[in-house]
Order: sequence, then structure tokens, then C-alpha cells
Amino acid sequence: MSTPFTSFRAAFLRFVNLFRKRKLDHELSDELESHLQLHIEDNLRAGMSAVEARRCALLKLGGLESTKENYRDHRGFPFLESVIQDMRFALRMLRKSLPFTVASVLATALGVGLNVGIFSVLNGATLRLLPIPRAEQVVSVNQIFHRRTIRNTHGETSMFSYAEYFDYRDQNHVFTGLAAYEPFLEATLAGGKTRQLLGAATSCNYFDVLSEHPAQGRGFVDTDCAAPGESAVVVVSDGLWRDTFASDPSLVGKRIVLNRTAFTVVGIARPEFAGTEPIPSTFWVPVTMQESLEPGRDRLADKNLSWLALLGRTRPGVSIKRVRADLEVIAGRIDQQNPGRATSLAIRTATFFGSPEEREFLLPVASVVLAAFGLVLLIACANVANLLLVRASIRRKEIAMRLSIGASRWRLVRQLLTESLLLSLFGGVLGSLLAFWSFTSIMQFVTSHLPRTFSTLAVNVAPDVRVLAYALALTFFTGIAFGLVPALQSSGLDLNTALKGDGARSGRGGKSGQFLRNALVGAQIAVCMILLLAAGLLLRGLYHAQTVDLGFQMKGVTTTFLNLMSQGYDENRATVFTRSLRERIAGLPGVTEVAQAECAPLSHDFSADNFTVPGRTDKVVIEYNHVSSEYFSVVAVSIIKKRGFRPGESHDAPVIIVTESTAQRLWPGVDPLGKTLREATGREYSVIGVAKDAQVSHLGELNTNYLYFPSGSEDNLRTYVLVRFAGSFVATAKGIHDAVLSLDAEMPVEVTKLEDYLDVWRSPSRIAVALSTALGALALLLASIGVYAMVSYTVNQRVREIGIRMALGADSVEVKSLMLLQAMRPVVIGGLAGVVGSAAVSWTLSSMLFGLGPRDPIAFITIPVFLLAVALLASYIPARRAAKVDPMVALRYE
Amino acid sequence: MGEKKDVLQGTLALMILKTLEALGPLHGYGIARRIEQTSGDLLSLNYGTLYPALLKLEQEGSISSEWGVSDNNRKAKYYKLTRAGHRELERETREWNETAAILHRFLAANEER
Repeated sequence: MSTPFTSFRAAFLRFVNLFRKRKLDHELSDELESHLQLHIEDNLRAGMSAVEARRCALLKLGGLESTKENYRDHRGFPFLESVIQDMRFALRMLRKSLPFTVASVLATALGVGLNVGIFSVLNGATLRLLPIPRAEQVVSVNQIFHRRTIRNTHGETSMFSYAEYFDYRDQNHVFTGLAAYEPFLEATLAGGKTRQLLGAATSCNYFDVLSEHPAQGRGFVDTDCAAPGESAVVVVSDGLWRDTFASDPSLVGKRIVLNRTAFTVVGIARPEFAGTEPIPSTFWVPVTMQESLEPGRDRLADKNLSWLALLGRTRPGVSIKRVRADLEVIAGRIDQQNPGRATSLAIRTATFFGSPEEREFLLPVASVVLAAFGLVLLIACANVANLLLVRASIRRKEIAMRLSIGASRWRLVRQLLTESLLLSLFGGVLGSLLAFWSFTSIMQFVTSHLPRTFSTLAVNVAPDVRVLAYALALTFFTGIAFGLVPALQSSGLDLNTALKGDGARSGRGGKSGQFLRNALVGAQIAVCMILLLAAGLLLRGLYHAQTVDLGFQMKGVTTTFLNLMSQGYDENRATVFTRSLRERIAGLPGVTEVAQAECAPLSHDFSADNFTVPGRTDKVVIEYNHVSSEYFSVVAVSIIKKRGFRPGESHDAPVIIVTESTAQRLWPGVDPLGKTLREATGREYSVIGVAKDAQVSHLGELNTNYLYFPSGSEDNLRTYVLVRFAGSFVATAKGIHDAVLSLDAEMPVEVTKLEDYLDVWRSPSRIAVALSTALGALALLLASIGVYAMVSYTVNQRVREIGIRMALGADSVEVKSLMLLQAMRPVVIGGLAGVVGSAAVSWTLSSMLFGLGPRDPIAFITIPVFLLAVALLASYIPARRAAKVDPMVALRYE
Repeated sequence: MGEKKDVLQGTLALMILKTLEALGPLHGYGIARRIEQTSGDLLSLNYGTLYPALLKLEQEGSISSEWGVSDNNRKAKYYKLTRAGHRELERETREWNETAAILHRFLAANEER
């Protein structure tokens, strides 16, 4: 009887019937009435009396009302109708207690909004597909090395060499095309005002594989990549075209100069396309032009260099699994050709931050952030749950009445849950709207307050399906989370006591309600404690980083980075250039000393290598720096044993200076002077001096193994010029700037204070501090409202008991302390749980604490005391009201 | 009154369809009476259960309804078989006969032992 079509037709009609209730009811009445009349007439004809005839007809029908009821169940959807009925009722109830509704909706909106907002940021950063046509077909390929192999790296180790790229491109059977690119390539744009640009060197199928056709001109063609250095063409970004070339309509075909090489502009990208990395690219050149932009670094030839990221567009219908199976055959072949090498592949649908290294860093950060935001939502939920519990105790009579006239418990729970889900829905929608509207501007605010060295990230925080789904799931979860327990609790009433009207004061329901309310407050305090402790620790870490003795002097020093190699200088020309530059700078008024270093202190430039102590077999990783003899006095690192480098002492001399703690670690208890270290190349160096430990490479880390080499002429190709000055920074900086340009007018140059590097170190923790402090403050606010509400409720409920106590001679101090003691019990228990929980997880923050212990006693004492004080205050206010109870009034109550 | 059988679950719809096929357009009361009479007054039909069944058949498109006037000048809702209803009746009848035949054979087989 019910084919799919007929049942669909029936369901549709039922649905339509939901909206024609009144008319249908009317018709049914008419029909049944005519039925009865026909029957009665028959009965009369059969000789019954009028009364008998009607009675008989009704009996046979089975009762008029129950027939109608039965009929209605078949007409529409009874479940749906009862849901609508529940919603109507819930709306009425919510409107009736408006303050409660507003408070709950706001708390939920806050919690859900925050979480949706942060999720949309994380979604934009890690889950969104690349902004290219049919992005779901594009996968990123990375390789993971399993054995310890010597591998050169420029970027991430999981990237590929040019030769490996060819193997994968030519041997796979799963891609319509596989593109490779060097993600970050710096270049100086000459002409007018020199500018530093960030771009990418790409294989010539890059734009084709991405289906990303430039808005003007063309992308690359195969012949562009035919031979190294042959085809100097460039595609520029829409942003660069607008900002730097003033939207010049005839730019395509013109020449621009990048790192002293002239490139012909062949295309301008679409405005939506800024490369396939989170940091926008402003230009693209064929990968074969790499050495023209990075002179002296022939990356194409190095078969053991990781420098190219791979993106492939899969053939229609090919799954990631098949891609992996196919490519792993190629990986196996490469492994076989290189004994000792073992790799596997990581293949994912391409997103920003898709490489294994980036994910390894981002996932823990993202989970900590999501957890922190989730905790605030939990506190908000606990608050609403508490409000619902209080309200449930007010509605006891109503609920008991419904139970006693036959409502099932399930039906009642359903109705109460409808109310809380409706609340969370309002809150969720409001919160999500606020989040969508505000997080874009919050993101802009945050990124604009980062130091300039952090480029703007191309993160799209606009909501998409995933964000909406997350918001919906969160809203639903919230409604259940704060609604279920109160609903179950208040529907499991003992009818007798509840109906008699003093159930709230005695009996089972009251006690378990009290327990639940205490547990909720305890949980709030625990969560709040965790957030505040995190904020406290980060603040302490930041303070620590600002006040700690670095072991060297940053004040009064300027730093200038010169990459002469990228500007086409060879070693001889670079040496001549830096020598005359240093002479000119030394002659500037106010300049006291000039030094050179391969890595300026705290500049995020590091070099490290494996060394061995002759006679021992173990390898030691030691960071190193190549410095000129003046370095130690310019940044005030004191030499504590023997001597520093002499002027003219170069890399040719086999000498090193080690730091104090390195010496102690390598030669414990022995005089390090004259001891030797062997480089991986086999060359040996002897220690001629010991320098004091200083945090020159990582802020907050004093004990890294560290040594200094004297700088040689090859160091001039890429060098930091450090200048100690006595006069004004502005004048000195201008002097240095002009000195550089007087030697080479097209040299990119920027002079900054050495201490500016500190900002780069501190800004992640500054953002974390701002975030966790804001979250902690919110949590504190919500939790103290929770404590306040609980205590006031308890006081209200116990007015009579308090009255009796006072009538029996208790004074107001005793009453107050009784109330406070009772209120503080869940607070203290929750607080302790929070402290223990924090101590267990605070190590996750250690990278942002700059050497401060993750269980810093000052934070772990002051924060709990502070939170306890706030909770005490929040409960003191209502407790004081308890002490003001007039015994006579209280006893007459009711 | 003697012992009366309740209407077997699911057979009411078939009876309604058959009645409408035999008698043409008819109102609810008429259908109910006809079913009772045809069964030789052996079936106890609660007239109230007829209406949800009629509603279901109408929703599924097997019958349609229309207000009309009865023989003794009373307004009543008349049901009639649609074309889909005819097909449905044919199918149901066939299925019912098959079921009944199987059951019959089954019972007969067990008696032989």
C-alpha cells in the first residue's frame, strides 16, 4: 500500500495539513455530524427512541472526541505538532521571565561568540582550501625522512630537491600536473624607491596546475623553464601592480629590475590570488631564474637540498589513497638509488600551513587556544545551568502539577530541554553574528599591532560551511549542556512535598539541588583558576623577559643587515664594500665603534653545526657566530678568560672563543684554554678565550652551547653591521644609511635599533598575554556572578532557618560566617582542583615564558589568593544580607 | 449477539477499497454499514476507526472525496475510488489471495500429518 511515491505524497499532505488545521477540524466535525445523523435516522427507523438512537450511534462510533483525536494523529505529524507546541510554550515562559532570559542569552552569546570567532580564525588559517579554482582537487606533497640523513635545507626539511621534483612529476600516474615552487624568495625592486619584495620561484606549469590564469598577460610557458637563467620573465601580484606601479595599464611587456637583474613583466595575477602560502607573494619568476635572484646559491643543482614545495592537481576521480600509493612507488625508487635513505610521504588536500612541520607546531597551539576558549564557554554554561536550577525550584509547583495530571517524565524533560535549546539558539545566533561581524576587525587590529617583520597573513576569517556547522554544533551542545541536568533534576520531583509548597526547603530534591549548584560553582572556579593562572604565568614571563639580565648590552647599538650576495657582489667586491663602509661609518660623529657579525644578537638568525671533542666519539650540536674583533666590546659581552679576537684575525686562523657554560659542559673542571674542537669537515680549532654567557641567540636561554669564530672575507657577502653610538639614534641611522647609498645607490638598507629585535621575541607572548588576560577577566566576571548568584539563592532559601538561629541567640557575625563558610567550600575545592590542573598542563606555555619555570611560585601563590579574595567578596555581599534578617519577619514568612 | 471478530490489522483499507469498487461513491457511514453487512454481521467494526483509514487512503491518493447530498437529503462527504485506487485494489487483492492461499496450504499440510 505504501510505495515510496505514495508515502511521500502522504507525508507532503500531512505537512501541508499542519497549516490548515482549523479548516480541517471544521470539516471533520461536519463529516462526523452527518455520519451520526445518518446513523440516528437508521436507528429511528429501526424503532428506537430518539435518546436511545443517539446513544447507540455514539457508542458505535467509539466516542466523538476520541475519534477526532485519533483522526488528528493521522492528519499531521503529532510529534512535530507537540514540538511546535513546546516551542510556543517555551517562548511564552521565556518572555514571562525576561531578566532571566536576557542574562542567559547574553552569557551564551558571549561563550558561543568567542568560540565561533576563534574557530573561524583557525579555520581560515588551517582548514580552508587554497583560494584557487577547484581547490579540492589540489593536494600538497611532503616527504618525511625516517633515518638520520644529512640533508641540506632551505625552508622545511619536508620539501623536495629539483631532481626529486622531476622524478615525481614525470613518473606519477595520478596528477594532471604537478607544480613546484620555492615559497619565500626575497628580492629588491630597483628604480625610484627601492623596495624589498617577497615572492616565489615556481615551476613553469605552476599557474596551469592551479588553474590560476593571470588577469592580464600570461602565466609561464614551458620554454620559460628550458634552461637556467635564460628566461627573465615575471608575473606580478595585483597588489604590487596597484601600489608600486600605480595600476600602469601598459606594465605587461615592460621591464622591472629585481636584485639587479632585469625581468620582463609577462602577467598580472588576479586580485584574489596572492600565492599558495599564508604570507602573500608579490611576484613569481620561473624556478630556473632562482640563481639570478639568489646569486651564488645554485639550488637547482643540489640533489640533496629541500627547498621546493609540491602541489599536484589530481586526475578526476583519483582519491588521496591512490595518490599516496602511486607516489610511494616513486619515493621507494629514490630511496633505493640513495642508500641509507628512507622516506614516506605526507599527502593532504592543499591548505595554508599544510607542511608536517607547520602542522606539528600549529596543532598544539590551536588545541590550547580552543581549549582556553572552550573553558570560558563552560563557565558560561555553568552560570546558565545555575540560573535554570534556581528557576526550576521556583517552578516546582507548576512541574509537580503537570506530573500529577499525567505528563510523562520524558515529555516534561523534552519540554524543559526545548526551553534551554531555544535559549542557546538565541544566544548562539546572537554570538555567531557578533563573531562574524567583529572578528575580521579584531584580526586586522592584531596583525596591525605586530612588529613589521611579521608580514600580514592572508587568512580569510569569513564564515564558511565549516564555521556555520561548528556554530550550530556548539549551540546545540550548549543547550544540552546547561539544560539537561536541571531538566532531569526538576522532573524527578517528589510530588507530595513539592505540591505542599515547602519542598524547596526540605526533602531530597532540595539537597541534591544544593549539591548540583555547589558542584557547578566549584567547576566554574576551577576553570577560572586555570585561565587566570595561564594569564598570570604569561605576564610574569613577559615581565621576566623585560627585566632579565641578557648578559650583553642592546642599548646604544644600531644594526644593519646587508645581503651583498643577493645584489650580485662577489667576495672581493663585498670585502672592498664593507671595508670602505666601516671606514665611513667610523668617521661619523657620535659613533664609537663598528663591528660585523654573521648573526646579530637576537635577530632570529641562527647557525649551528655538529662538533666533536678530539678523543671522544659523541657529536655535540653547537651554535656559532662569525664575528669581527670589535663585536665583544660593541655588544658588551665580556671576555672572562685570556683574550678576544685580534683585528685582522680571520677565519683562516684555527681559533675559537667558547662561552663559559659550553666550556664547563665540554671540559668539566679543566681549563678550556688550548683545548680543541673538530668541525664536521675534520678541521680543528683551539680555544683561545672564554666569553661570558649571554642570551644572544634565544631570549630566555642562557645555557645553549655557543662559540665564536673570527669572521673572514666570505662573511662580508651577508653580514650585520653593528654600530655603537653615543649621540642621537636618528642622526646616526641617517649617517649609516647615507654611507651605504653613497657606496651603492641601489643597495637596500634599513638601520634599526638593536633592541627592536626584542619586540619580535616578545610579540607572540604579548598576544598570548592579551588573549589570556581578556579570557581570564571574562572568566572571573562570569565565575563571580556564579558565586554571587549561588550565595544569594542559598540565603533566600534559608531565611527561615536563619531566623530560627537568630531567635535562638546567634549573632550576625555567626550567621555571616556560617553563610561564608558554606559558600567558600565549593570555591576552595574548585580552586584547588584548578591549581592542580594548571600545574599539570602549564608546561605547554614554557616556550613563551623565556626561562621562567612553568610552575613559577609567585604566579601560583598570587593568582589563587586573588581569585579567592574575589570569590569571598562575591559571597560576602549576599551573606551580609543574611545577617540583616529580622528573626520575626523571617519566622512569619509564608 | 454471538461472537464477533475484530477487523484484522491492515485489512480495513482493502475492505474500503472493495466496497467503493462495488458500490461507487459512498459516504463514511454507508461504507461502514456495507462492510458489516457483507461480513454477515460477523465483524465488529468500531465506526470511528474508519475515518483515519479513509484519511490515509485519501492522502495516498487511492480515493478522493467530495461533499454531496444523500438519498434522504442530508449533506455528507462522498468517497470514490481513483484510478490509482483501482490499481491499488487489484494489487492488494492479488497479494491477499496469495497470502491466504499460502496460509491455507500451510494449515492443510500440517493437518495431514
